[in-house]
Amino acid sequence: MDGADRERLLGRLRDVVGDRYAFADPYEMRLYQYDASPETALPDIVVIPGSAAEVAQVVKICADAKVPITARSAASSLAGGTVPVKRGVVITFARMDRILEIDGDNLRAVVEPGVVNLALSQALKPLGYYYVPDPSSQGACTIGGNVGTNAGGPHTLLYGVTVNHVTGLELALPSGELVQVGGRKAASASGYDLTGLFVGSEGTMGIATKIWVKIQPLPPVQKTLMAVYPDVETASNAVSAIVRSGILPAAIEMMDKLSIQAIEAASHAGYPLDAGAVLLLEVDGIPALVDELGERMAKVCRESGASEVRVAKDEAERQALWKGRKGAFSAMGRLSPDFYVMDGVVPRTRLPETLAKIDAISVRTGFKICNVFHAGDGNLHPLVLFDAFKPGQYEAVLRIGDEILRLCADAGGSVTGEHGIGLEKRENIRYIFSDDDLEVMDRIRRVFDPHGLMNPGKVFPGDGLESAPSRAPEHAPRRASAVAGDGDVWV
Amino acid sequence: MGLNARVETLPGHEIGVEEQQRFRVDDLLPSRVMRPADAQDAARGLRLCDQAAAAVVTWGGGTQMRLGAAPRRYEVAFSTDRMSRLLEYEPADLTCRVESGMRLRDLQEALLAQGQRLPLEPPHPERATVGGMLAANANGLGRARYGTVRDWVIGIAVVYPSGKLARAGGKVVKNVAGYDLMKLHIGALGTLGVIAEVNFKVQTRPQVEATLIAHFETPAPAIDSGTTLARQYLAPAAAVLLDNGALRECGLTGDWRWTLAIKLEGYAREVEAARDEATGIIREAGGRVEDGDVPSVFWDAARDWSAPDDGLVVVRAIVPLTAIRAIFSVLPGDSHVLAQPAAGLIDVRVAAGSAASVLQQLRSAAVDQGQVIVAAAPAAVKKGLDVWGMPPPGFPIMRALKQALDPNGILNPGRFVGGI
Repeated sequence: MDGADRERLLGRLRDVVGDRYAFADPYEMRLYQYDASPETALPDIVVIPGSAAEVAQVVKICADAKVPITARSAASSLAGGTVPVKRGVVITFARMDRILEIDGDNLRAVVEPGVVNLALSQALKPLGYYYVPDPSSQGACTIGGNVGTNAGGPHTLLYGVTVNHVTGLELALPSGELVQVGGRKAASASGYDLTGLFVGSEGTMGIATKIWVKIQPLPPVQKTLMAVYPDVETASNAVSAIVRSGILPAAIEMMDKLSIQAIEAASHAGYPLDAGAVLLLEVDGIPALVDELGERMAKVCRESGASEVRVAKDEAERQALWKGRKGAFSAMGRLSPDFYVMDGVVPRTRLPETLAKIDAISVRTGFKICNVFHAGDGNLHPLVLFDAFKPGQYEAVLRIGDEILRLCADAGGSVTGEHGIGLEKRENIRYIFSDDDLEVMDRIRRVFDPHGLMNPGKVFPGDGLESAPSRAPEHAPRRASAVAGDGDVWV
Repeated sequence: MGLNARVETLPGHEIGVEEQQRFRVDDLLPSRVMRPADAQDAARGLRLCDQAAAAVVTWGGGTQMRLGAAPRRYEVAFSTDRMSRLLEYEPADLTCRVESGMRLRDLQEALLAQGQRLPLEPPHPERATVGGMLAANANGLGRARYGTVRDWVIGIAVVYPSGKLARAGGKVVKNVAGYDLMKLHIGALGTLGVIAEVNFKVQTRPQVEATLIAHFETPAPAIDSGTTLARQYLAPAAAVLLDNGALRECGLTGDWRWTLAIKLEGYAREVEAARDEATGIIREAGGRVEDGDVPSVFWDAARDWSAPDDGLVVVRAIVPLTAIRAIFSVLPGDSHVLAQPAAGLIDVRVAAGSAASVLQQLRSAAVDQGQVIVAAAPAAVKKGLDVWGMPPPGFPIMRALKQALDPNGILNPGRFVGGI
């Protein structure tokens, strides 16, 4: 976009949102060039609309001018989902952060896309309800972003991910229309499930401007256990043993030795420093049942090789255990200036062999790899530690990432469990989908977005990126320690 | 070459009179039947149908064939009955992969052998197939607790008229790679492709199961009990509210006017607590809790009630919990009703003669809060009814999706919403 085009477009966008909320100053653009992934690209213009109607107008103006549009809220994407690789306009939702309605009678809430995930559950808590999906970034990430990536979190093991909790959406489409799909009622019996199709489409179909979500009663009590294992293999076999025992806990998380050391240095969660691996398990329910399940689970843990099983004795200890887990990524700054995180998934039963292969990669390449992940559903988060200022390291780490995702795919798994394909994994998607699979998906994308303007350069491989950020040294990733203050990067 | 001649060139076999009747859809009879052996075979067959511009109706067990408008045309019955294998099942992963023609009961038996189950119970599981359950979004009575088909399908392989066999999702329980086409095909009534294989996540069977029966003089307090139960942490596995006629049709006798039947499932301690809680809620609402057991046929009959085999008309309203009372207030006195108050779903069997007026009244009562559709009706009755109601706001996108995936309109033409 040349300067004159940009000024013209900026003027039209300012007519919609006001002078204050559309800007193109190069200095300010730098704030919107990144997310929580290593990639960056500068937008031409940033717009902060105040209402769904404004979003629809902004989208229409951009679509008519054939300008790419990238939606962004908290920009906590770990896959480059909100990096505007084809430049154009970034729409951000800082002003659309209202909880519009809490309808306890119908077990629904209606929110704007910029509502922070945790803020919704906090608003619901006094009423005895909560919103289930809880990405570890829930203190910053928004429901709109969660819809984009179909976000998960530790507690989705038992209760499902974002798509299982969204019943309706209002969408701003490239056609300029504002359309409501689904809504308050439980199930759709009138046409295709566009709500379900849209969730997880990573902004490539349109922009959600209003979201109907399920809310559910808070569990009466939660019990959190920490089981200590000599090594990750024993711990991952224990995960299968727990699932086989007939108990499906609300969460099963694993941290390996290196992660434990980083977490303890950062947050003193209470994990034993000499452990080879730690499992964090949680059950919820009525008190009598939770006690029973807690005991059964502790027994299975001991029988499967745990040297110690500790039950959080109060809410403070429970919170400390979870704070350690949820702050694990930011704690990596204690071990290394930079890290690169994967989001592979394998069938639960393939965890031991997959972790062993990842360890072999670490030994072979000399890069340390931490594992902190959602073990219950086989969703791995290997963190490759490196120093971006050392020549060649970033490129080597990307190759390691590809190799790990290939391992996951070969084990019958997936290349992303909750972060999304984004920019980062659009070539890796070929590990699990054929050209035919992708062609059908692309055909569907074009129904919504015939000109390829909605978050272009994402999800699909080989999208002919003109201004793609090369993975060359001039685009060296930001240093984790420089950008991630304590609690700034999560998964 | 005329259409008939083109259809004659298709593989599969010509159809005898008896078989024609078996594959009848409303008033239409096919001239050919194709029975692919597997997904690849189905892809080749469907491509040939597309090239011949032959209209295809995909057949599973046929239990939901009276759902939807009458097809505009119908040449080929595309049966999945030979695609009935359990392809993969790893109990420790709680996942399985099956061919779409597998009967629900066969799948459940395989899972049961490992102490597991799929918590979906569409009507007539002895005949209903996995693919049909997806296409018709046929859910049983557990939706308030366990969700619907969309919550249990983790992957899908679909055959398109272009001859492509394309997958989405995968075999793992958590996966956000690529578009979630499972959602697109669930409830699409086979208008976008032929579902060839399905990957499910499954669950461990509950430790115990119990039924609670309560009686009410009027429906309102029974509805309130049901919706209150839905808002409890220990929500029931199923809650159905029946009038006396529906109660008898489900095999229970008694003079009670309104009956609320509640199924409780889970760990023993949970079920015990849930029973106490439900009893309290019902008594507070003025209901009378019955002692004693319920014959096991009851839940099976209740599950099958909304998909009758005879020529009955079933109208279904799906509304928010707070709108259930409004629906009940306009039900004609002679209609039989089986509602799921915890899920906002009301099925009504109405006399053929009054179907149109009941439909109209329910739609007025539901206003823009929900949907009212005809879930089953014989062809003669259907002709005078708008079975799906007004197309929803996103309809232009739906039509464009249909055009993108089935450009020649060979799949179930005319049966879906808005004439898709």
